[in-house]
Parts: sequence; structure tokens; C-alpha cells
Amino acid sequence: MPKRKLDPLPSAAFQILLSLADEDRHGYGIMRQVEEQSGGRVRLGPGTLYSSVQSLLEENFIEEVGAPGDDDAPNSERRRYYRLTAAGRKLARSEADRLADLLRVARARKIFRGDHV
Amino acid sequence: MSEKIYALLLRLYPVHFRRTYSGEARLLLRDRLRDETGLYARMRLWLDLLRDLAVSLPGEHSALRPAIETAAGNTTGTPSFSVLDRPPLRRGALLFAALLSLIGTGAFVLLLNYEGIPPTSRLAQLAQRAQERPSIPSAATAASSPSGIPTAANAGDAAVASSAPSPVAPPQNPRHAGAPATMQIPAAPPIDAAERHRVIAAAAKDLRASYFDPKVGENTAAALLAREKNGDDNAATTGAAFAALLTTQMHDASHDMHLVVEYSQNKLPDGPPPQTPESRALFARAMHQQNCTFRKVEVLPHDIGYIKLDFFPDPSVCATTAIAAMAAVNHARVIVFDLRDNTGGFPAMVSLMASYLFDHPVYWYSPRSAPTEQSFTHSPVPGSLLADKPVYVLTSSRTWSGAEQFSYDLKMLHRATLVGETTHGGAHAGVFHRIDDHFGMGIPEQRPLNPYSDHDWEGVGVTPDVKVKSADALAVAQKLAQNRLATQPQ
Repeated sequence: MPKRKLDPLPSAAFQILLSLADEDRHGYGIMRQVEEQSGGRVRLGPGTLYSSVQSLLEENFIEEVGAPGDDDAPNSERRRYYRLTAAGRKLARSEADRLADLLRVARARKIFRGDHV
Repeated sequence: MSEKIYALLLRLYPVHFRRTYSGEARLLLRDRLRDETGLYARMRLWLDLLRDLAVSLPGEHSALRPAIETAAGNTTGTPSFSVLDRPPLRRGALLFAALLSLIGTGAFVLLLNYEGIPPTSRLAQLAQRAQERPSIPSAATAASSPSGIPTAANAGDAAVASSAPSPVAPPQNPRHAGAPATMQIPAAPPIDAAERHRVIAAAAKDLRASYFDPKVGENTAAALLAREKNGDDNAATTGAAFAALLTTQMHDASHDMHLVVEYSQNKLPDGPPPQTPESRALFARAMHQQNCTFRKVEVLPHDIGYIKLDFFPDPSVCATTAIAAMAAVNHARVIVFDLRDNTGGFPAMVSLMASYLFDHPVYWYSPRSAPTEQSFTHSPVPGSLLADKPVYVLTSSRTWSGAEQFSYDLKMLHRATLVGETTHGGAHAGVFHRIDDHFGMGIPEQRPLNPYSDHDWEGVGVTPDVKVKSADALAVAQKLAQNRLATQPQ
């Protein structure tokens, strides 16, 4: 499977995968979740968000699902929800592993000042 | 407001992206606008959006290329046309593009033509053209036009009746020629009742004196005076409007389309400029440089003499050339005159050329001049062997005026077979009468009886005997000539 835009995995795409780990979300939900999980450092703009979503959809790392029934917002029927697929979960895990390896290397090279990480 | 601006910015994205996600993106923005209020939050929001554009736009546009490359590389599997399938252009976009190019072209043409000088009337153009050209006395008599300036209803008529119509002196741009005069008169002055009366009185006088049918001339003059008395002309306060009004009134009374009054903002010339030996020599040299418009004189296979003539030039300058051309085909068994690009010329030359084709003088009908002793061909021409040879005349829709006379008369005399298209249809012309510095009129002075039919070719053209496309006319005529020769003994 060619991973044109996702190899290496951009941080935006990784953040999206992580944001969908616990539940299905629509675009704005993803954006808010990413902002939250990054401590407010990453706010995905619509262009970045949806181009990443598009790439992830193309590679079947996420999929589109219908709006959950309990969402009774007036424009909910127009929103698309996204769900992490098994492949997406696997990809997120391998990316996390890769980062963990990197983190280990960084620790070994003693680039951290304290022991807090 | 913010949403509208963002909707515009979204148009920067490729169409496939917009199709899929522009709705979502706008929803997202709406959510953020709802949740993030206050000056700081809004500024941060817009900063986010702009940064987002800068980051994601290049990626989206470059993403199109890999898709195509993948398709090109995919040669082993099934064809994947869909990858290359970009959405077609929208109708609105096409319409906009067409409109834009129209406006662009129009603006360009306007700029090209703009010279900042008001246009002059057709009459002034004709008068100026005549003034610029050297005119030839023999032509003036041939055209039976004392002033020598026609006011033809169509430009091609000028070729026959004009004092010196010449392909070597194409119509000058009056805006260049008339520039000094135009500069002196920046705007058309209004005309008053006294001026109108003067013009009408002069027009009526000219009509009575010169119109070929005295009764119609009298009636038309009376109609003009009656309309003036009735106050019909009071509304016309500009020269051009007044001239148009008088022309309409004359048409109503006479039904002659060649009876016209024209107004010129520029001062009309007093008459054709005097002849000088220099101007004559200049004209003669220019004509000879063009071989008097004899474009081709040759003998084609099967002894077919072929003469392509684009204009019937002034015999006082070109008679030698014409005689040489006719001599060159004297021994041919058939003569083909190619008049497909011939726009007319001097009646005397038309008659001179025709003289070779008869063994006795024949009446040579002209729709513009009454019969005189000049109206007969000078046949037989000593030494000519062409009087009994078959003649073909090639015509096209461009064949005009004097060339139409040549074709028409030969056809009516059963002397030639016309091959090609129906001709242009210019037979009549008015003779120019100067009323004052700014008004002039065209009056048909003669309308001889047509011996062949009630109507000549004015407006309808001369119908060929063999109707073919003008481009094919020579080949068809050659074929016809060969067949005819095959049935004749050598």
C-alpha cells in the first residue's frame, strides 16, 4: 500500500489518529480533542485537518461513519464523523513505539535536564 | 462576515478538495466562531486560519501530481482512467472566460482604432479620395461625370464612375487625410432653418436639372419643398440628421436608392484637383508597375488562352498592355477571362477588351450612360483572330461593377459562357453634386434603356450560365472548353 502523504506520518495525522482512539468525532470534535491532548499547543486549521483526514481516509486508517443518534444538534446530519480503523490503530501504535524508541535514545543521550519525563 | 471571507479563501483549494470538504470546513469555522469570542480569541483564530492556508495549500495542489504519476505507472493492471479524471470546467467558468476574452479583444480593437478624431462621413471620404488621386480626363468623359466624383450607394460603384479609380491608390484613411481640416472644426455646429432652406432649395434645383427622369426629378424636388413648408424638417438640428432626413424623403418620393444627400463635418473640396503632368506620370508608373492589373496572361494546355484581370485600367495609360495581352492569346482556340477578383474599372477599357471578340461593331450596353457613338465596340480589331473563338468568363461574388458589365453584356449577346458564382450586383451610381461646404448629393443622371431586360444586375448580380464555386471555376471552364474543342475539327 503506497503511503504517499503519510510516510513518515505527519504529526497532524498522528494527532488525529490519537484523538479518535476513544470515540468517533466530527471535524470540529477532532480539532478540539487535538487542542486538548496537546495542551493547547496544536490547533488544527480546517485545511490541515481535512487534508490529513482525506489522506487517512484514502489509506483506510480512518473511516467515515454516520452521525451518532444521540447528537440532536440541528446541523448534525450534515456532519461527518470519523472512526479509527484497525489499521489506523496499528499505525498509531507503531508510530508511538517509534517515538518511544526515539525518547529512549534521547534519554540515553542525556538531553533532558531532569528526570521528569 | 468572517465566514464569507473564509468561503472565498476556500476557493484557493483544488476543486476536488473543495467539493468534499468545503462544507465541513465552513461548519468547523462556524463552530469556532461560536465558541471563540473576544478580540484575542478572534485574532488567534484568524492567525490560525492564515497559517493553515499557508501550510496546507501547497500540499493539496502538489497532491494532484502524484495521482497522475501513479496512473501512468500503473501499466500492468487494469486501466485506471478515473484517476486522471478531473472534474470538467463549470459552465459559469466557461461563460466568464468567454466574456473576459470578448472584453479583452474589444478593448484591443478599440485601442487600435482610436485616434481621438471624430469620424467623417462617407461623402467626405469619397470626396477626399477623389482629391488625393490623380484623375484622368479621358476617364471623366468615359464616366460622363462632370465633377467626376460619384456618390455610390456601394463602394464598388465608385470603381466605374469615379474619375480615377485605381487599385494602385487604395482608399486613403480619411482620418489621416482629413486630419488638419478636422482639427479646425472640433464639433458639429447645429444648423438652423435658414441653412436648411438653402440646402433644400439647392437640392431641388439640382434634382430638376440633373435627374435622369425629369418627371420624377420634379416630383421629388416638390416633395422636398412641401415637407419643409409643412415643418417636417424642423426637428433636424444637426447636419447628419438633416441629410438622413432628406435622403429618406427623396427615397419616399422617387424610390431610387442612389438618390442621397450626405453631410460632411469637414469642408468638402471644391472639385477634383487640377491635373498636372507629374500626377499623371505618377499614376501611369504605378499602373505599369502592376502590369495594369493583368495578373496572368498565358496559354494553358489544349490552346486555351487565359487572361486574369483584376481591374479594367485606364486605356490612356494601359492600352498598350491590354493590346499586348490580347495579342499573346491571339492564336488560342478558346479564351478564358478570369474576372473572379475584378472589381470594375474604366468603361472604355471594358469596351476595348470586348471589341476583340466581335467581327462587327455591337451595341455595348452600360447601365450608367446613354447610348452614343462611343457605345459600340470597335470591332473588328485588325489582326484579331478571336472574333469567332469560344469565350468563357469566370465570375465570383467579388466580381463587381465594370467586370459585371463585361460579363452581363457578353452573356446577353450570347458571346460567352459564364462560369462561377453570381456576381456582386453593383450597376448604378449617382453623380456627385456639391451643394455647399458641408452638404452634397448623389443624383443618377442617366438611366439608359436596357435592351435585354427590365432590370440590370443592380442588387441581384449577374447569374452565371454554369454555377460552380468560384474556386472551381477555372477547372470547370477548362473541362468545358476541352469537351467543346474535342467535338470541333482542328
